[in-house]
Amino acid sequence: MFEKKLSPLQTIIMAVALIVVLFPVFWILMTAIKPPTDWNASPAIWIPSEPTFVNFQTLFDPDALGEYGVGGVSQPATKAVFGSILASVVSTALSVLIGLFSAIGISRYGNGSKLTPLIILSGRMFPPAAIAVPFVIMFSNVGLIDSYIGLIAIYVAVTTPFSTWMLKSFVDDLPREIEEAAMIDGRSKLAAHLTVTIPLIKGGLFATTMFIFILNWSEFMFALVLSYSNVSTIPVQLAKYVTATAGTLYGVQAALAVLAMAPLVIVGYLIQSHLARGMTFGAIKQ
Amino acid sequence: MTNISTNQEHPVLDVESVSKSFRGESALQEISFTVPEASLTVILGSAGAGKTTTLRMIAGLDQPDSGKVTLSGQDVAGWEPKDRNVAMIFDNLALYPNKTGYDNIASPLVIRGESREVIEERVAEMAKTLQIGHILQRLPKTMSGGERQRIALGRALIRTPNLFLLDEPLSSLDAKLRIELRAELRRMQRDHGYTFLMATPDFNEAMAIADTIVMLREGKVVQTDKPQKIYDEPVDREVASFVGAPQINLVEARFMSEGDDIHLLFAGTRLLIPEHFKEIAGSESRAFELGIRPENLRLVDSSDATIKAAIIDIESLGPKSVLTVQNDTAELRIMVESVDTVDLSPGQNVGIEAVNLNKLLVFDQTTGQRLCSLQETAF
Repeated sequence: MFEKKLSPLQTIIMAVALIVVLFPVFWILMTAIKPPTDWNASPAIWIPSEPTFVNFQTLFDPDALGEYGVGGVSQPATKAVFGSILASVVSTALSVLIGLFSAIGISRYGNGSKLTPLIILSGRMFPPAAIAVPFVIMFSNVGLIDSYIGLIAIYVAVTTPFSTWMLKSFVDDLPREIEEAAMIDGRSKLAAHLTVTIPLIKGGLFATTMFIFILNWSEFMFALVLSYSNVSTIPVQLAKYVTATAGTLYGVQAALAVLAMAPLVIVGYLIQSHLARGMTFGAIKQ
Repeated sequence: MTNISTNQEHPVLDVESVSKSFRGESALQEISFTVPEASLTVILGSAGAGKTTTLRMIAGLDQPDSGKVTLSGQDVAGWEPKDRNVAMIFDNLALYPNKTGYDNIASPLVIRGESREVIEERVAEMAKTLQIGHILQRLPKTMSGGERQRIALGRALIRTPNLFLLDEPLSSLDAKLRIELRAELRRMQRDHGYTFLMATPDFNEAMAIADTIVMLREGKVVQTDKPQKIYDEPVDREVASFVGAPQINLVEARFMSEGDDIHLLFAGTRLLIPEHFKEIAGSESRAFELGIRPENLRLVDSSDATIKAAIIDIESLGPKSVLTVQNDTAELRIMVESVDTVDLSPGQNVGIEAVNLNKLLVFDQTTGQRLCSLQETAF
């Protein structure tokens, strides 16, 4: 995209920034393939001399670390992986769907009140920890605690303001006359939005979906306090890799983190052109 | 789907005391006008006058707060845009940016579920009429302004609506193309007997193509008339200034009677006015504002001129030129033949006299209302 040459100073600044951003990713990748002896060796081992996949094996077979004399891993991560997929996919889909229709509604049929953004975003203006305990009590009473329905409900409630607001900005950027032309040409209002508005904000829709999915996928606190044994997600599972004998199982944690990152990185790469377009949508108005 | 059939007894469009406000701010106040079949009516007004709001309510994109919109004799309150059988061209054209020229033009037919063969045939026909065959496979963003304009026109013309609403359809074009296309629009409208309602802030455009002009100002219809009548007999000072370039001269003036004669005093001159002008003059030495179009002033030999003034600016319009002159009491614009300006330069003193006295306009100083033209009293 940019053919511009960077000056030496710019190159150095970029290099430093890249190292700062990518170092944790590098460290996690390396840790994931280190044997237990290398996890917290001193001095630090940067690149493992004997790379191994035992950490990944442990995720599905808790006893795999036995050969290194490490035991006490309670359960496989399988359930957490599927739990995360279920909770994140369903709640992201619902959040984006509700957000999309709200966004179109507010942008096109709203009264333009200055209170609307305040009301929608006020739900996000206090720390989630403040509402976690009340939710535990309420969910216990209605039997939603330790259930995926409960977790999904709270994820949708928490992320819908974001999806609504993000999508609204994309709808706002689209000249309303384009969908109105379709209404005049014979579409009903709903059909005009479905066939004209939504395809034209596709980039924004991808960007929003990605953003909301990351929020849900990495959410830790609600998943922790609202689950006992039925429900598990990857962030919660990560916290469980602590044993009485061997301390924190850094390698196994890193392996699960790599597994959790992989789909996001792949999807992000596949839709990157849409993401870029989503960010610059305002600039392609005719 | 309700199908509106054209009814001879009714005008295609009848707007009756429609009002609309947005968040407490009034956009339209009790506007009324009708559009007869096969006519071209222009809503003329500056930005913010309510032109777009008017068209949007007729199309059903906005709902009036009160009043009635009747299309071909049927009250359309609450009807969705798709049921009104009107076509609209927006000021930003609103082409589907993700569709080719062909798909843009075809879309109204696709929505109606026409067969592929019919669509292909109709689009090909339209492309020929509008001479856009070469851009059908391109996306709007790769087209020039004029090409997009034609695509938008094609999308509106491909079906046969009872009424076409055009919102400043030529505003995005350069001057030459604008004049070409407006002539083309007019010809198409006449040839096919289409009914057009077009909004524009450009009085030249309105004068050139309108059958009737609806003059809109601050959400009110101030005058509805034939173009020439709006020019010759504007309802008030603002309409007089809006219509006509160079702008009409507005100068303070006074009537004075001397015996049976009535004199008109303005810009340091004194004209003898025929007796029948007395009605307007009313009480003696009444002050008012006089409107003189620049073409009704002319240069005369300064020795026997009634108005003497110094040139402050000369602006050429090609065959004609506009002189701006000034004396102690007034600043005037005069339309003269360009050949007569060769020897003139700013600073020079010239003599001026008013001609076509029957075209003089008289406005009330406070309300700005036109009192009555000399012409009307004369005939």
